[in-house]
Amino acid sequence: MRSFSEYLNDLFSGIRSLLTGLSITWKELWTKKVTRQYPENRGTLVISERFRAELKMPHDENNEHACTACGICQMNCPNGTINVISRTTETADGKKKKELDRYVYNLGTCTFCNLCVITCPSDAIVFSNNFENATFTRDKLVKQLNMEGSKMREKKPIKKVENEAEKGIQTA
Amino acid sequence: MLLNYSQPLELNKLTSRIDAALHAALPDYWAVTIELVLVGILIIATYALLAVVLIYVERKITAFFQARIGPNRVGKYGIFQTVADVTKILIKEIIHINRIDKFLFYTAPFFIIVASILTFGAIPFGQGLQAVDFNIGVLYVISVSSLGIIGVLLAGWSSNNKYSMIGAMRSGAQFVSYELSAGIALMTIVVLSGTMQLSTMVESQRYCWNIFNGHISALVAFVIYLISGHAETNRGPFDLPEAESELTAGYHTEYSGLQFGFFYLAEYLNMFIIASIGATVFLGGWMPLQIAGWESFNQLMWFIPSYLWFFGKVALLIFFSLWVRWSFPRLRIDQLLNLEWKYLLPINLVNLLVMVILVLTGLTLTDIFY
Amino acid sequence: MEQIQAQIKNQFPDIDTEEGEILKIKVSPKELRSIIDFLYHYKNLPFNFLKYMIGTDEGETLRVSYILSSSVNPAVNIMVITGTDNRENPLLYTVTDFYNTAQFNEREIYALLGIRFINNPDMRKFFLNQDWVGYPLRKDYDPNPALNPVSVESREINDNSFVIRELPDGSISEEVTKIFDDDDYIINIGPQHPSTHGVMHFRTALDGEVVKKIDIHSGYIHRGIEKLSENLMYPQILHFTDRLDYLSANINRHALCMCVEKATGIEVPERAQYIRTIMDELNRIDSHLLAWSAHTNDLGATTAFIYGMREREIILDIFEKICGGRLIINQNVIGGVMFDIYPEFQKDVKNFIPYMRSRLKEYDRFFSHNVIALGRMKNVGILNIKDAISHAVTGPSGRASGWSCDVRKYNPYALYDKVEFREIIRTEGDSYARYMNRLDEIEESLHIIEQLIDNIPDGEFCAKTKAIIRLPEGEYYQNVEAGKGLFGVYIESRGDKTPYRLKFRSPSMSLVAVMPLICKGEKISDFIGIGGSMDYVIPDIDR
Repeated sequence: MRSFSEYLNDLFSGIRSLLTGLSITWKELWTKKVTRQYPENRGTLVISERFRAELKMPHDENNEHACTACGICQMNCPNGTINVISRTTETADGKKKKELDRYVYNLGTCTFCNLCVITCPSDAIVFSNNFENATFTRDKLVKQLNMEGSKMREKKPIKKVENEAEKGIQTA
Repeated sequence: MLLNYSQPLELNKLTSRIDAALHAALPDYWAVTIELVLVGILIIATYALLAVVLIYVERKITAFFQARIGPNRVGKYGIFQTVADVTKILIKEIIHINRIDKFLFYTAPFFIIVASILTFGAIPFGQGLQAVDFNIGVLYVISVSSLGIIGVLLAGWSSNNKYSMIGAMRSGAQFVSYELSAGIALMTIVVLSGTMQLSTMVESQRYCWNIFNGHISALVAFVIYLISGHAETNRGPFDLPEAESELTAGYHTEYSGLQFGFFYLAEYLNMFIIASIGATVFLGGWMPLQIAGWESFNQLMWFIPSYLWFFGKVALLIFFSLWVRWSFPRLRIDQLLNLEWKYLLPINLVNLLVMVILVLTGLTLTDIFY
Repeated sequence: MEQIQAQIKNQFPDIDTEEGEILKIKVSPKELRSIIDFLYHYKNLPFNFLKYMIGTDEGETLRVSYILSSSVNPAVNIMVITGTDNRENPLLYTVTDFYNTAQFNEREIYALLGIRFINNPDMRKFFLNQDWVGYPLRKDYDPNPALNPVSVESREINDNSFVIRELPDGSISEEVTKIFDDDDYIINIGPQHPSTHGVMHFRTALDGEVVKKIDIHSGYIHRGIEKLSENLMYPQILHFTDRLDYLSANINRHALCMCVEKATGIEVPERAQYIRTIMDELNRIDSHLLAWSAHTNDLGATTAFIYGMREREIILDIFEKICGGRLIINQNVIGGVMFDIYPEFQKDVKNFIPYMRSRLKEYDRFFSHNVIALGRMKNVGILNIKDAISHAVTGPSGRASGWSCDVRKYNPYALYDKVEFREIIRTEGDSYARYMNRLDEIEESLHIIEQLIDNIPDGEFCAKTKAIIRLPEGEYYQNVEAGKGLFGVYIESRGDKTPYRLKFRSPSMSLVAVMPLICKGEKISDFIGIGGSMDYVIPDIDR
């Protein structure tokens, strides 16, 4: 049997702990609210530059990209998200040359592991942080990254992509 | 009283004018029938409207407690959010489930809503704004509001769902236990005011609310009433019957569409009813704040219409209930029953005795000062 | 170790032992139980902690390896290897009477490799349906979907279990046992339930509100990651680790990276080590915060849940800035880290530390001493130290039972031997001890980060690696302390660019496996609360 004083002690310490809890929620009632209102805050929304939302192939002003259609990204992709379709053309001096026909990327299966970007020898692809990729059907998630009529940049690009973050690290 | 003529916003003049007009134009029985229908429609309309408001208010206040901003999409500050939700619930398909006890299953929501509306009708909203005014009003309110539990049990039993069943059984145990406490707490005040009629009770609190009049004893009764009333409405931390993290939705797991809407509506209105009975019995109901001797102050207070006083007091109690609900974790069924039978009930019984002594020995505030 | 080896040689003269990184003992199935019995009762260093149980298809033989360790000194490991040539009806002896954790592991091996264990009290397949055709982890498995069509019809769950017994004359008999009695009141908690923390299915027999028996039914999100990994290169496998225990994503990935680095001898730059350790600890805080929030939510305090999530968001923002991922962090790569820290990283983390401390105080006032919360947690779901070790319950939950089992202490990796921190141990073993352990570990993690954040050295953040990484032939394993407990990676390599067998040792499996034991006799609402206090993550189990 517990004594009566213990009973009262339990009662009052219990009530005190409840009042402490109430005081915390009272304080929180007046704190700044943390909800972010998307899409109203689109203008001020800061998405980290390194955020990986979608694979992109940067094209320059002449509609040229850096992809040599070597297929290393496709080989490194763990789940077959990338499909590099190449064609062989003949150059003016009669040499056969492999060229990118279509660079097909399936956003729906991509796990954003960044292996393709890391391993690309010519820095032809980057991840952009444009996260608004929702579509109504899945087939819209399958995208062709190279633009229509684009071709490979003739000279080997010397300058790195300026943003180190977007590009990831270099491996040998 | 002289003051009563200077209340521009009171509704009792309007109601008596309608009453007089009806009686003048029609035979008595027709007049009464029409009045009854009008009152019925008004009560149901108020009921639905209050639910819509309460749901919005709860969602907003909850959000503020949780450092969120709550509904904000439909209308400015999301004020039309519940309207949209109600519309959705109204046009939603009612899913018919196989292997249930169909009759009981479809009856259960009506039990709950009817019990809730019956209690709602007895609440004095303001001067002259009371549909049912029995001389045993307190008993009526207690007994009619208990009918709701039958609906809960029926819903749990007829759903043929084990979660529902456990929820309903918990609800039964909880309701029976806490009804006892709520009843005794109200009886304490009945002892104090010497009447069971809600209108007289409000009238008797003109200069001294019951909670002050009975000081210690009334205060204890008030706290116990709030706890047990809170438990009766099945809201956190006493939301065991629907404990969403344990029983998904408890007794109304299988309900959909409008039937679920009934449960939802009744839950919010029960919160309102508990708060309004609390306000009526303990905090002077619709009676404005009056201090004996301060005639001009009292007159000023009367300019605020009585129904606003009533809703103000109720809102205060509802806010408190929300505050508690969103601060504490849920009790376990044995702790819940422990709280009732080991703490609340003994304290309550002693408190009732103390109140009797207070009244008999003339130690209430009115006895001492007036 | 030599002493043990000598004694084994002495006692069992015809057993092969092989010294390497750990002592390997090869035994025949007949001798398995006697050698385990010997090790289990070894004086002063009882090998009573079964860390890993790995089934491998060696081509001819089906091999099972047990990595045993001691609760007294978990840094000591012995590997016991046994196997059978019988591929038609492989049978081995169970060790469930020594190690309770073997129960689920043996069922897993039965499902994935087809080895059945004699005397295991419940020999159903784990993860897979009983009628699944083929054994996925065998090398000759036929993955043809026609063999195992996706069933679109509702199927009754079979309540029959099997026990394999060996009769005195050496023949085998199969007994069918019932899991539940016919008049048991069984409710399904899961697979769709708000409080199972994932797609877990607890079939719970109730007596009123009291839990009588729990049958765990897992595998709803079994993805076969171990099988998939056998066809992928090591850098590709990395992205799976984040999807095991997604709350300790960075820590899991760290384990696999370290394992590969150890095997190939890649030297990780100092800077990368600092970043990894800080990220691991941030990840641990993240994991514990979510555990705290989910636990409070399970107990019905939704507001506390939201406060926890609010603080967690700050960590996730830091993660997003450093490596572009919030939940799936993707930061560790073989040889270092994928991204260097961003310029304000130190500032952000240093702002977070005092903020988190003030929050911890608030949590303490808000929930830890609340009379209702105490009633729901104290003396509820008591797990004693003996059961904790036998079930291999590690992490904060194991330490709440009084078992010192922090990998960071006994097997320091990364920078954990350079920093000073306390190992939080409580002895009560109830939900409250587990709950408090997590909050205290957040504080210790903050302390670790404090010691490292200002001292991040300059230099490379990733070592140069070969384009195609091949592991030399052999077996490698690496343990880390993940948010839930000991997470381990075991790789068997045959010198290829893909592993021959890869096994993840998941801490959550033990946490779930112990639930039927500690929930027995508790109320159904406490079952939910205990689940919250154990803090398991289902994808970690259903690899």
